[in-house]
Amino acid sequence: MQSLTAALSPDVYTNTSASQPHLSIAGLTKQFGDFTALKQIDLTIQEGELVCFLGPSGCGKTTLLRAIAGLAPQSSGSIVQRGREVSALPPQARDFGIVFQSYALFPNLTVYDNVAYGLRNQRQDRQQIRTRVAELLSLMELTGSEGKYPAALSGGQQQRVALARALATEPGLLLLDEPLSALDARVRVHLRSQMKALQRRLGVTTVMVTHDQEEALTMADRIVVMNHGVIEQVGTPAEIYQYPASEFVATFVGSMNLMDVTSKSAGSWQLGRQQLICPKSFSEAPSGHARLAVRPEAVTLSKSQEGLQADVANVEFLGAFLRVHLHLEGCDQPILADISSRDAQAISLDVNQRVSMCFPVEAMRLYPAGGSAA
Amino acid sequence: MNAVLSLLPQTLRSRESLIRLIVLLLAVALMVFGLLMPLLTMLIKSLQNRAGDFIGLANFAEYFQTPALANSIFQSLFVAFFSTAIVVSLAFLCAYGITRTCMPGKRAFRLLAILPILAPSLLPAISLVYLFGNQGWFRDVLMGQSIYGPIGIVMGMSFWIFPHALMILTTALSNSDARLYEAAEALGTPKWRTFLTITLPGVRYGLISCAFVVFTLAITDFGVPKIIGGQYSVLATDVYRQVVGQQNFQMGSVVSVILLLPAVISFIVDRVIQRRQVAQLSARAVPWQPAPQPLRDGVFTLICYSVAGIILLVIGTAIYASLVQFWPYNLSITLDHYGFDGLAGGGWPAWFNSLKLAFSVAVIGTLVVFFNAWLIEKTEGYAPLRQGLHFLAMLPMAVPGMVLGLAYIFFFNQAGNPFNWLYGTLAILVLNTLVHFYTVCHLTSVTALKQLDPEFEAVGASLKVPFWTTFWRVTLPVSLPAVLDISVYLFVNAMTTVSAVVFLYNSDTRLASVAVLHLDEAGYFASAAAMAVLIFFTSLVVKLLHALLTHVVLTRAQRWRLTS
Repeated sequence: MQSLTAALSPDVYTNTSASQPHLSIAGLTKQFGDFTALKQIDLTIQEGELVCFLGPSGCGKTTLLRAIAGLAPQSSGSIVQRGREVSALPPQARDFGIVFQSYALFPNLTVYDNVAYGLRNQRQDRQQIRTRVAELLSLMELTGSEGKYPAALSGGQQQRVALARALATEPGLLLLDEPLSALDARVRVHLRSQMKALQRRLGVTTVMVTHDQEEALTMADRIVVMNHGVIEQVGTPAEIYQYPASEFVATFVGSMNLMDVTSKSAGSWQLGRQQLICPKSFSEAPSGHARLAVRPEAVTLSKSQEGLQADVANVEFLGAFLRVHLHLEGCDQPILADISSRDAQAISLDVNQRVSMCFPVEAMRLYPAGGSAA
Repeated sequence: MNAVLSLLPQTLRSRESLIRLIVLLLAVALMVFGLLMPLLTMLIKSLQNRAGDFIGLANFAEYFQTPALANSIFQSLFVAFFSTAIVVSLAFLCAYGITRTCMPGKRAFRLLAILPILAPSLLPAISLVYLFGNQGWFRDVLMGQSIYGPIGIVMGMSFWIFPHALMILTTALSNSDARLYEAAEALGTPKWRTFLTITLPGVRYGLISCAFVVFTLAITDFGVPKIIGGQYSVLATDVYRQVVGQQNFQMGSVVSVILLLPAVISFIVDRVIQRRQVAQLSARAVPWQPAPQPLRDGVFTLICYSVAGIILLVIGTAIYASLVQFWPYNLSITLDHYGFDGLAGGGWPAWFNSLKLAFSVAVIGTLVVFFNAWLIEKTEGYAPLRQGLHFLAMLPMAVPGMVLGLAYIFFFNQAGNPFNWLYGTLAILVLNTLVHFYTVCHLTSVTALKQLDPEFEAVGASLKVPFWTTFWRVTLPVSLPAVLDISVYLFVNAMTTVSAVVFLYNSDTRLASVAVLHLDEAGYFASAAAMAVLIFFTSLVVKLLHALLTHVVLTRAQRWRLTS
């Protein structure tokens, strides 16, 4: 099911761009001794897009990035970049620039020498190098810092020097390994939009590894959600958020209510003791046990007698909205509902009060019981 | 199309990794031919008779049946235990003074305490003869006992080994966590209990490691017992006597194998302890700062400066002895003894040879050791080769100099050995000295490299820069302080070592340290002292130059280094 999603989504993309993919990964597996870090990864990345590898630590996203770079060669599988088979090539022979989490700026070289590091090796003449470095530094808003050493720069400036150094040789592919995680929250939010704008302007195909879902949702053209060495889902940020392909994706991206539901006959599902009004697609699921997912902001509350009857257990005030903890009779897990302050005024929400809870049909998702098998 | 495109990168790839492979193989070959093969040859020799026939353990049986030989085992253990006890306790007190008290003049004391390392171990032995010998100033202190024997050996070794122990214990004691002491104080714990429950457990690995290092140095040292041992023979002098005195190479190799055992055992114990020590101190520990306490500070000042006084007295005695016309009858000052004309040992040319050796080892050795450590630590691929090289780099620490020197004779002097031409050249001395002192340099390099960002090489590769450019432009400059440390360590050791090279020089490659030995044997005590003092001052000057250079490098680097 996961590989199906991964294989299908690029087709959607080619319809709009109609060019050959920048990078095609097929059947990629990476073993560290007995441990399998990546299992049969298939992925296609289009020219000019920004793809985020998103997942918890240890999911294999950095390993995949390092395999693309040739820094940690895969155990099996192939990588094709712009029609060129690069699977067996060392990093030197591949076409990419990389920014590491630590930036790995050379501490004994000035900003200028850091950025010019790769250019000097291409035997360009001094004037050319000078022009290119100046161009990059002005692009990164670092003009005037040429003579400084990395230790004298702020975290955000260091990050931009690392970016300039990676872009200096005009690589076809830019790899970013958690490029923002070493910065403090405020700078991070600012740099996010800056980096995205820069990437769009230069049109450089970019792969970014992150564990921060907000970063992925705001920056990526497409997100590759990974867990335990496999791709759980590939899709645009909206697709990932609205139509999570697995229970893991549903819980990892955004917050999600997950409830055990049971079915005695096809298409009829029960939550606790109450009957659910389900989307048509649910009738295809085999009867038995399953997990129902609804985002807290999709849950609506009213005073009517219809819908699921639940008791208010607790109300948290979170500024723009209220988070209501609800207790449903015959159901162990509390259900969360995010209600705007205005809506909350219409129904006075007091603890122990009974309210009517409604899940919009289009917001309900059903997953096999026992979590995603993968 | 694909094939054509991948042609160029393929050659690029094979070129870089081929070079890495070749260098790794060369490094492994260096250790195999410079360490493993000689040791193996020596082991085989110990199982052969003079004619070269295999006779099993017969040589060992003969050894243990000859009381004059087997006795040396107990005598060696005896002096080694005593030296260890004295050195570890004195070094602990002094290290405690440096790290845990507010005694004045800590820097000056540390400088003075390091001095014995700059002299060959022959120097304290010569000084002790002048101080406590038959015509010595303090002869009466020994109450009729002779300095020529265990007393002299223990005293001389303690002097020479003290700086090694002090360095280890100072490092161990400076790792403290103030939060533990504050907690103890808040609970009203008496000082002696704090010491027993916090301070001692905190340095227990350092103490054990220190004891084993000191024990190994003491049991393998050759210089001190050679000069001052008299009739009291130990294993190291037995090797020399069997080989040089009696030309009994088989028995020499038997003694070497026996001498190898305690060194190997303490090496293994030390490795095991080092591995355990890693996670001892958490990164959040707050270093403990001593507060002034007049009584405690006074006591430790007294202890430390007494030790420093003894060090200065011993070195001063050697200098004085080298300047006096004819001690104790004519005490006028002269530089005659620095002429070395017509005396044994080789005189000034030997000193020049030593300089040549020390410079060669310092330059070649530093590059070889540091580059190999870099290959092991910072490159991908060839994992078995890299792990093997790391293991080989750790081994020399377990091989005493006498054993290594004798093993070189056996291996390189064999008829039919393709490296036979090395025998009797300066090159074999360089190789031997480099291998002999390899481990400490390797560990220093690895520690320095581990502190660097692990992605420097990856960045270089992504920018299509060959690995040697990144090594030369980034890794080496950033590690310069450690590199300088290694080179001066190699220089000083090459200058002062006697044990291994005593078997390997010939008439063209005599060395200053060996000259001290020969001058002493021939009865030219003042000239022996003069040569030892010459070595000492050579090392001192190089050490001072090193300090100056390091200072310049660090000031320059201040521009980019975060910490001073």
